[in-house]
Amino acid sequence: MLLRLSNVSRDYGAIQALKSASFEIGRGEVMGLVGENGAGKSTLVKIIGGFDTGFTGEYFYDGEVRRFSGPTAAEHAGIAIAQQELSLIPTMSVAENIFLAGDGVPRIASKGILARKAKPFLEEVGLGHVNPMRATNRLSVGEQHLVEVARLFAHNPQVLILDEPTAALGETDSIRILNMVKRLKDRGKSVIYVSHRMDEIFKVSDRITVLRDGESQAPRAATDMDVNSLVELMLGFELGDMYPDRRPVTRKAPILEVRGLWPDGILDPISFDVYPGEILGLAGQLGSGTSEILGAMAGSTRSRGGKLYYNGEEFLPARPRDAIRRCIAYCSEDRKRDGLFLGRPIMENLSAPSLETISINGLLNGAKERASTTENAIKFTVDPTRLPQEAGVLSGGNQQKVALGKWLSVSPRVILVNEPTRGVDVGARAEIYQILRDLADQGAAIVVASTDIQEITNLPDRVLSFYRGVEVGELHLDEMTSANILEQITDPFREAGISVSERA
Amino acid sequence: MTDATAVSGDGLNFVQRIRRDYSPLVIAMVGLFLFVFLAGAVLTDDFLTWFNVKTIIRDAALVGIMAIGLTFVTLSGNFFLLSMKEIAALSIICFATLMGAEWNQWGPAEGDPATLALMTTFLVAIAATLIIATVAGALQGALIGLGGNPIVVTLGAAGLFFGIGSWWSDNLVVSYRRPHGAEWLGTGSFVGDIPNITVAFIIIAVVAELTLRYTTFGRQVYLVGANRAAGRATGHENFGMAIKCCIIASLCAAFVAVAFSGQVSSAHVNYFSSEFGSSGDMTIMVIAIVMVGGNSIMGGYGSTLRTSLGAIFISSIDNMMVLNGFNSGARVLAVGLMIVFSIIVFALVRRGSRAVE
Repeated sequence: MLLRLSNVSRDYGAIQALKSASFEIGRGEVMGLVGENGAGKSTLVKIIGGFDTGFTGEYFYDGEVRRFSGPTAAEHAGIAIAQQELSLIPTMSVAENIFLAGDGVPRIASKGILARKAKPFLEEVGLGHVNPMRATNRLSVGEQHLVEVARLFAHNPQVLILDEPTAALGETDSIRILNMVKRLKDRGKSVIYVSHRMDEIFKVSDRITVLRDGESQAPRAATDMDVNSLVELMLGFELGDMYPDRRPVTRKAPILEVRGLWPDGILDPISFDVYPGEILGLAGQLGSGTSEILGAMAGSTRSRGGKLYYNGEEFLPARPRDAIRRCIAYCSEDRKRDGLFLGRPIMENLSAPSLETISINGLLNGAKERASTTENAIKFTVDPTRLPQEAGVLSGGNQQKVALGKWLSVSPRVILVNEPTRGVDVGARAEIYQILRDLADQGAAIVVASTDIQEITNLPDRVLSFYRGVEVGELHLDEMTSANILEQITDPFREAGISVSERA
Repeated sequence: MTDATAVSGDGLNFVQRIRRDYSPLVIAMVGLFLFVFLAGAVLTDDFLTWFNVKTIIRDAALVGIMAIGLTFVTLSGNFFLLSMKEIAALSIICFATLMGAEWNQWGPAEGDPATLALMTTFLVAIAATLIIATVAGALQGALIGLGGNPIVVTLGAAGLFFGIGSWWSDNLVVSYRRPHGAEWLGTGSFVGDIPNITVAFIIIAVVAELTLRYTTFGRQVYLVGANRAAGRATGHENFGMAIKCCIIASLCAAFVAVAFSGQVSSAHVNYFSSEFGSSGDMTIMVIAIVMVGGNSIMGGYGSTLRTSLGAIFISSIDNMMVLNGFNSGARVLAVGLMIVFSIIVFALVRRGSRAVE
């Protein structure tokens, strides 16, 4: 084995990201690394690449015990990571970006020399057609990802880690990446391929390592598995009891009709209905467009067109205020960005959307504010004596409860929630699910978008699935299994005989 | 992850509450400032005479009123208006020109400045000045609210306003005859020997503080300043907020210009660039007050009460240095040091609190 980790553990405060996990990869092998969100994939990748040095356990590389002091040390030893986020400087030329670290080239080099030296690396990743003198930002996103890999090649790596390289890419660019991985393998390099996309994993991997809740499974040969057995390994036993019971929903008159909504990130205009009393799930991976749909419904993301019919009234919110006035509440996936006022007291956070209802003639009514925020805090099991404290001191779970709970003050009829439990511990998760279900039972309509496959399987009454900006299908309660949903959001065209590579 | 630190506000005495709410660095800084203030007060001859204190509170009132206006802009997360002194310059030219204008004289000037004729002249002039300041504020606020960088927008606006004022006055001193209707504001005092401008400062400070604490608008200022994206998501857009706050700041600048003109019975576009305060530059002076008061530059945290204390502190230090014979260079240095010092302290505090998170 070229690289082997055994008994690796890592905790961040109270969160145990890895629990004595093991990992190995041989020379010239492509190892798929899969797992749910929060299973520990990125932590493992960071440890291998030398970004995270605070772990316990053994790290063998090339037959010796190694402990890299940082990513540069790992890179010199021959381990390179292509991160999900690009780290290229967009205004510099492709060649300049490749030699950004400054090694392997003379100290003073003309653009022509750099371009000549960059050419072989570009050819290696399948970018032979690109002029190295070109500004990097004039390439497609996929090509930029390949430039990023070409830059790693300049250090002649033995192990290359690709962390979700195709998450933000279209079909053509994805195929380029897959082809490059195959070429690398032929040249005797080892590749760790991290992805959520099942079809890609099976296409390129020799063996697959599954991570679940920080624990690793022994690697298995890809040929011994299929999508279903892999999903089973990823999920383990389904935690059904965390989710509140569903009641039968009678779908008579929709409260909100979405017609032809077309935000950026969505290929065709989207139409669907939302009924009071139900939780509608929007399933899809990162980049599938579900966040954009919720954002456009709430007026925080621009839509190229379309209409919403709310109780018969036609409108399209241009700003969040338009939606709030109609009692449509929206919780984005990033509570620190636009869900909370971290430096302000919890009470002010809870009353922020409803300042009009707690004030008379522009004057705040302190007693009314205290009464209504205390009531909502209790509903969300946030300790009311903590109301004067800053929201920033709360734990992630409590922050999420405040971010959601602030909307109770406007008595919302439609609640749009993106990633309701991201970064939330298990206990608070169950509470949030219960509150959402209670709100639905009281007659509110709830739309939840989530990339968490368990959540999207067990919480909603109905699911719409999305794949790269395309609505794939609608699943009703009897068809809503993790495997069905996962198939629709990762590899929807497999049954039709169209796979990623053939579509292009 | 600091849920365990939950402590309710009850049952703590004053010192304990201070220690809970403020970081040791801030307490040390306030302590140091107080020490400097007290030491200076004791060691400086003639500092604690009524005449000198009156000078301080008059100076503090003029810069303090402007700084209170600017505090609204800063708290709402729109940084600073770099055009404060130019708004004041345009306002003072407008006011003085109208005070002396032929058409704006409504009767013979007599010995008593409080006649109806003189007051009418004054009211026409101040009304026009405040209208111009409102337009100036709204213009800048709209550009900032639409997404313009506050620094760039207000630098550009500064040139615009200064140019108009300079052109209008031919770059000359505009003076008007005493007695005039602005004397009561410039030099008069109704309550004992306390200057009227100081009374105005106190009233404005109290009203501003109450507005921020107890009105919907004040709450919106804090929320939008604390997190603009979250403010938008909860229905509070920065567009209207930026316009309102810039208008408040501009009106305060115009009011100070009127009061100063009433004091000297004249106007020149350079009054607020050269003849004012220790640094000689009203804009920098006012920004220094907002910062030394401990208002967060990023917005969402602070109060006009802090600004008022900052104004009194900076004016006192400046006055002590004058009494002790320091030249203007040394006084500029002192103001600069105070700004740098408070920026460093508050930056360290912010970094500390982020590490806790």
